[in-house]
Amino acid sequence: MSTEDSLTNPQRSFEAANVTRRNSVLRRLAVAGAVVLACGIAFSAERVWSNLLVGTFYLLTIALGGALFVALTYVSGGGWHVAFRRIPEAMAAVLPVAGVAMLVVLGVRMSRYGWHHDWHGDVGTFWFKELWLTPSFWAVRAVAYVSLWSLLAGWLVARSRKQDRTGDASITGGNVRISALFLAVYAVTFSLASADWMMALEPMWFSTMWGVYNFAGMIQAALAVVIVLGLILRSNGGPLQGVFNDEHLHDLGKLLLGFSCFWMYIWFSQYMLIWYSNIPEETSYFITRTHGPWGPIVVGCIVLNWVIPFFVLLPKPAKRSSGIMMKVAIVVLIGRWVDLYVMVFPSTLGENPVFGIWEAASISCLIGTAGLLLFRSFANAGSVPRHDPFLPESLHYHTC
Amino acid sequence: MSDRVLLATFEHEDDLLAATDAVRRSGFKIVDAFTPYAVHGLERAMGLRPSRLTWVCFLCGMIGVLGMLWFEHWSTSIDWKLDVGGKPWNSLPSDVPVAFEAAVLLAGFGSVFALLAVSRLFPGKQPQIINPRVTDDRFLLVIDEADAGFDTAAVRKMLQEFHALAVEEKITLPGGDLQ
Repeated sequence: MSTEDSLTNPQRSFEAANVTRRNSVLRRLAVAGAVVLACGIAFSAERVWSNLLVGTFYLLTIALGGALFVALTYVSGGGWHVAFRRIPEAMAAVLPVAGVAMLVVLGVRMSRYGWHHDWHGDVGTFWFKELWLTPSFWAVRAVAYVSLWSLLAGWLVARSRKQDRTGDASITGGNVRISALFLAVYAVTFSLASADWMMALEPMWFSTMWGVYNFAGMIQAALAVVIVLGLILRSNGGPLQGVFNDEHLHDLGKLLLGFSCFWMYIWFSQYMLIWYSNIPEETSYFITRTHGPWGPIVVGCIVLNWVIPFFVLLPKPAKRSSGIMMKVAIVVLIGRWVDLYVMVFPSTLGENPVFGIWEAASISCLIGTAGLLLFRSFANAGSVPRHDPFLPESLHYHTC
Repeated sequence: MSDRVLLATFEHEDDLLAATDAVRRSGFKIVDAFTPYAVHGLERAMGLRPSRLTWVCFLCGMIGVLGMLWFEHWSTSIDWKLDVGGKPWNSLPSDVPVAFEAAVLLAGFGSVFALLAVSRLFPGKQPQIINPRVTDDRFLLVIDEADAGFDTAAVRKMLQEFHALAVEEKITLPGGDLQ
């Protein structure tokens, strides 16, 4: 199929049977997972909630990562990615749903965050933290973060889709400005949100690298999702066949390789500073996670998020191969779940790692829900931003 | 490589790309191509093998990381045991930053010096520019006149199809440098 076909007919549906089969599998995964999780509330509410926190934060950061990818490429004047920009845009468009899910999950458990009723430890020296974690202030902030992200990302995506209809090239310039605003807001709010929602699970522990650590994991997972969706949407006569090509895949591979190293760099920087200074209120986090049964899981997390992507993606042909890129992206996505699992579970459930039916159900629910939301979001707009001034550049893009 | 080469000058990068591709497909040996800037796709048109520089870079990086880890281990816990802040001897985390820096340093320097060596570049080397205009607005393709069977007229005719501005023969100096 030529590029022209997909441009003149962006809604050209790919094998309808394939799509129906895919959607029904995803729906079954989502429903089965959700039903099992609902039953789980009766048996182990704390575990179900921990799973929900990991799952919704996973989904939310993928959506936010899509918006971040779009904003970063607008601001940096990138043209290479325009042919497949509808994928990160589809991810960004899921933000309101993911954000509301996050607020619900946080809301049902708010009264049970450790700091909500009674402080443990010497609160006197942490007067600012006490003020910062006032439940009402904490809740208002959560709503503010989600609203700001949804609003700005939604605005960006809506204008890009509008360009399909009007062909107005000035929309691109306007989106550069909105992207700059989004990036400034994102940098502050996401750092605070990750501290509010994840770091505050252990309120007496703190790390000034927490925000950038969460950013690293987020962008790495978002890139992996772009790769997986791009490969699916270009296979079997999909809407991006002949549009999303090996040049784009190659560059996404370079970014994934780079951000895998960045994640490792940040993970180690946080670990080493705490290990080196050896101050009790800082080491508590890593003592639980590196001593005892969590140790091997942390090692596994590093293997999945850095060792495998680094060595597999180093050679150039690997980054241009659909099969290898798909496998590495899936490894990174599994690694992302393990990373969040290690962040949350030791704080909420203690020193013994648990993995059983509730975790399997939450993963099944996450895959199903994320898949359904992302594919539907992608189908809501033309598969290619046909009037973007950088589209020809992106279609004739060469990298090396 | 014989000592006679054919130089073809082009005005457009597309002509150079198409001519290079056609010449290679016809079985002639391409010595080199000279352009004022990096032309995308030229390495594919010339049929160049993937660069081996990446392996040099990888090996130098591995030597850097493993060599430095071994040196830190030897110097702080074998030759003269150091107690730093009450940490155990041979603490891996404290070795990582320097090992990482050594990997980056050796990979970077290794690649640069390997490239310089392979390209026979050194300080004070006299530049050998076949045609000064390849540094400005001309594209040059150098074809090897491999043997007596090389039909200069036919190649010349083929190159004309790609709007070659000039096609001339040159004799190379011993060592492969162009006169």
